[in-house]
This record gives sequence, structure tokens and C-alpha cells, in this order.
Amino acid sequence: MPHTPPVVGARKSLGTSASRFDGDQTGPPALVRTRRIAISDRSFGILLAAPAFALFVVIAVYPLVASIGMSVFDQTLLREGRSFVGLSNYAEVLSETFWGRLRTTVVFSLFATVAPLVIAVGAALLLNSRLRGRTILRGALMVPWILPSVVTSFLWAWIFNTNYGLLNQLLLRLGLTDGATSWLGDDLGAMAAVVVAKTWQSFPWMMAVTLAALQTVPAEHLEAAVVDGANRWQRFWHVTLPHISVAVGLVSLLEFIYNFGNFDTIFVMTGGGPGEATSTLALSVFDMAFQTFDLGGAAALGSLWLVVLGLISGAYLFLNHRAEQR
Amino acid sequence: MRRRDVGTDIVNPRLTPLGWVGLVAVVVFGCLPTYWLVATALMPREEVFAPNRSFLPRAISLESFRTFSGNAELMQNLLNSVIVSSLTAILSVVVSILAAYSLSKFRYRGRGALMVLLLSGQLFPGALLLISLYLLLNTVGLLYTYTGLVLAFTTFTLPLTVFLLKGFFDALPDEILEAARLDGASNLAVLRRIALPLVAPGIATAGLFGFMRGWNDLLFALTLGGQDKRTLPAGLVQTFIYQGAADWPALMAASIVTSLPIVVTFVILQRFLVSGLSAGAVKG
Repeated sequence: MPHTPPVVGARKSLGTSASRFDGDQTGPPALVRTRRIAISDRSFGILLAAPAFALFVVIAVYPLVASIGMSVFDQTLLREGRSFVGLSNYAEVLSETFWGRLRTTVVFSLFATVAPLVIAVGAALLLNSRLRGRTILRGALMVPWILPSVVTSFLWAWIFNTNYGLLNQLLLRLGLTDGATSWLGDDLGAMAAVVVAKTWQSFPWMMAVTLAALQTVPAEHLEAAVVDGANRWQRFWHVTLPHISVAVGLVSLLEFIYNFGNFDTIFVMTGGGPGEATSTLALSVFDMAFQTFDLGGAAALGSLWLVVLGLISGAYLFLNHRAEQR
Repeated sequence: MRRRDVGTDIVNPRLTPLGWVGLVAVVVFGCLPTYWLVATALMPREEVFAPNRSFLPRAISLESFRTFSGNAELMQNLLNSVIVSSLTAILSVVVSILAAYSLSKFRYRGRGALMVLLLSGQLFPGALLLISLYLLLNTVGLLYTYTGLVLAFTTFTLPLTVFLLKGFFDALPDEILEAARLDGASNLAVLRRIALPLVAPGIATAGLFGFMRGWNDLLFALTLGGQDKRTLPAGLVQTFIYQGAADWPALMAASIVTSLPIVVTFVILQRFLVSGLSAGAVKG
């Protein structure tokens, strides 16, 4: 931070009630004001927030509301105009696509949260031990998180490539398989592949948060546990884990939310395939809107997606709020 | 500070043999793919596709990077990325400075609602919103333009940058700003001459976040960019998926080009990020 200029002329007589530009009621007495001010402080404040507010309403809120509204119309990109169809888009996606895609989304989100969580906590505990060069190691392990998600996804598609991919080559050299496996061409293999790619991308930041939480575990508690004869595992389970559980839990929930909306990884690696095997809600909404141009159907599916996302996000905000109050 | 004499071995224990195995496994998992990215891009092409190839490059070749730079379309994508990301950085800095200063130092009705609105924006599902955003930009003639892309990226950077800068403004004592007001400086002069210089690190960080948002995004770039204005991530998808050119070494070289500005950005950000890990945590 640059140096702080001296507080010139801060007058005690103004008291604490005027410690902010509160506008007319609590501001400095009118006599102190100069004539040059054309607009009041309060209006100035509102004016400053206007561009952000306008952008947000036009580019984010309006499109979201309009998309939800579109779900009761039959509308496509292929022709002009639209006709009101009530809830029939919903009936259609509920009977055809929603539940299957929801299941795929939940499976992906769950595995792509638990796997990096386990690796992150393990890695954080290991990096928290007495180790030469752990700063460098930690830095090196952050690289997967820094790379653009498109790059990560292409890289893993290349690693899982059937004929020339690193994974198959390693497995062949080690004698673990005798033929090339078509990972991305197989239902289960494709899901595993996108989960692995997302795990690789996500574990570093979960590790960083866990490492930060580990610094808050009081040494006294650990020492007391040693005095009481607790072994390493017992110390972890009864002292360390309770201390980091809130931070780690919130990070996991946030990761789950991100995975629930993931587009990049799956789109690049599998495009939702093979067949529908990795077609999550995000992928389907995109496909319906921009590949088959069924805007009404995509909007209905997306609105249902929004409901589920809202429930999970609400849970996160609630828990986060509670954690902050403690 | 923590007592170091007794506690060190308990708080930061030595690694057991099993711990070493775990550590090696994590490091291999974390670093091997990145190595493979770089190695594939730098190997001579015939070596990448050789039946019994080595995992260490026998020779270094810039062939794959030349394939990238020889592709006019990808070079245009790169230029688009630079333009769009830089403009996103500038616009999001300007808009979020104003909004953050307002939210931090002024009190008015609707202030709380605006903050909740901005925060919730992080969780808006992009694909759903995009359906109407696409039509909206089409209607006003901003589809497939730099302006449309920059506006979209800026808007979705705001939740991050506004709160980042608000934190910096919150740390400024109100007395400094008030003193200047009492000395006759206008509201705008207080912001420009006094507040802004004091939050310079925050402004730099916000700008870099805006840049990264514009640079990394795929979904919007793919749909709102169109053929001429699409940025590199969408360009990679277009060239290597839609046009079906399974040229992996060239793709890895292009991926390195796509990653470099972000890696550089992070090296710069390291200085500022120490205090703001939670702010950085917003990236998915």
C-alpha cells in the first residue's frame, strides 16, 4: 500500500455520525458546504453506481428473466415470431430430457467434487508437514488451476486419446492393458475422463483453502492431544478435522455448484457424448438452443435447471452466512 | 505467533514413508499433464505419432508453433482475444471503481439490494441467460461485435471486481476524504485525486481479473463472437473440433499460446493475491 497522507483538517466537532458521506441528514452543516456543488452527495453516490447497475440489469437480469419467460412460448431461431404454448415445453422436457440430464449432472458434480476434495485435503496435510521446498511445490501444484479451462480440457482429451494418448501409452508400457482403450468413446470411460479432468483443474484451489484453514488449527490443542496420548490419526480426526471442516465444507459446496453449471470441460472433451452419456443440463440447454434452435424447449429445461441451482446456491449462502456469524 | 520450540513437530510433522508416496503421487498427478502439454508442443511431429515414442523429447522443434502462426484464422482469434480482453479490463475497472466507491462510501436506498443483486450474479447460469442475450444483442445489432463481447464479459466480471475494490475503499479512512471535501474539493476530485491513488493495487488486480475473464471464457465467445470476432478459446474449438483437424501437436502449441498471458497475469497477481485468496476462489 502507498503511504497514507496525513489527516488534514479532520475536525472532531463533526463527530462520528458524519463519518460517512451520508447525504443531507447526517452530513456536515450546510454552512460548510461550498456553492460549487451542484448535486448532493447522495445523488453523486447513486450516479456512480448507475453504470454498473445498468449493465447488470440489461446484460444479466433482463436476459435471465426473458429466458424464463420464453419457456412458455414455442420459439425457434429458424423462423420469426412465437406462439404461446403454456406449460407444454415443460411437459415435454420433463417427460423426455430433464430427469436423465439431471442424473448425469448430479453424478458428474458429485464425483468432480469428492475426488478433488480428497486429493486436496491429502495434499494440504502433506504440504503442511516439515518439508524442504514446500513453497515451490505448492506453487507448482497451483498450475492446473491457473490454466484456461479450454486448455485443460483439450489437454486431457489428448491424454485420453485412444491411439496416441499418454494414458494408453503408459498403461501399455506398464503392461496393464494389451490394447488401446477408447476412453472417450465409452459411456463410463467418458464420464470418468471428464471427472478426472475437472478434478485436476479444481483440486489446487481446494488445497489452497484447506492449507489456509490448517494454519488456524491451534498448536496448543494438538499439543494437549499429544499429552493425552492421541496418535496421529486421532489428532487428525478429533482436533484438525473439526477445525477445518467449515472451510472445507463450504469450498466443497461451492465446487459442487460450479460443477453443476460446468460447460467448458464437458463441451470440449466429449460434447455430451458418446450418445447422451455426459450430457449435463448445461450442455443440453446449449445444444437445444444453439444446435437444434429450439429456444422454448431450451428455456424450459434451463428454468428447471435454475430451480435446482437456486436450491443448492441458497443452501450455500445460508451456510456461509451462518459460518461467518460464528 | 505460534510457539515454535515444542509444537513444530506436532503442527508440521515430518513425513512418514507412506506420506512420501502420497506426496510423489500428488506431484505426478499435478505436474505430469502440464509437462505433457509442453512436451507435445515441442516434440517434432513424427515423434508424437511414432509407434514406440519416448516420453522425453529427443529433439526440440518449433514446427507446431509455426503451424499455429501460419493459420490466419487462429492469428485473427489471437488478435481478437487481445482486443476483447484488454477492453474488458479497462471497462470493468472504470465501471467497478465507480460502483465500489459508491457502495463503500455512500448510503442510499437500494444500496443493499444492489449488492445482493451483484453477488447473485455470480451464480446466474450462463447457458440459460445466453438464449435471450443472444436475441437481445442481435436485435440491437451488437451480435458478433467486439462491443457485444466486451459488454457481456464486463458485466460478469463486476461481481468479482466491484467487491474486490469495495474492500480496498472500505480500508480508506473516511476522515481523509471528508477533510478534502471540507477543503472545498468536489466529490469527483476527492475520488480522482485522493481515493484512486490509494487503491492502485486494487485497480491493477481488478484489471487483471477483467482481462482473465475476457481471455478464458468459452461459452459467450462461442455464441456471441461469430466467425470474425471470436476469441482464442472459441477459435480452438472451431479449428480443432468443428473443422475436425485432429492435429494434436498444433493444438497443444495453440494451448500454450492461450495459456501464456494468463500465467504471466498470475505471476503479477501473486503480489496482490496474498490477501485475496477468497476473491480468487470465484473462478470455477
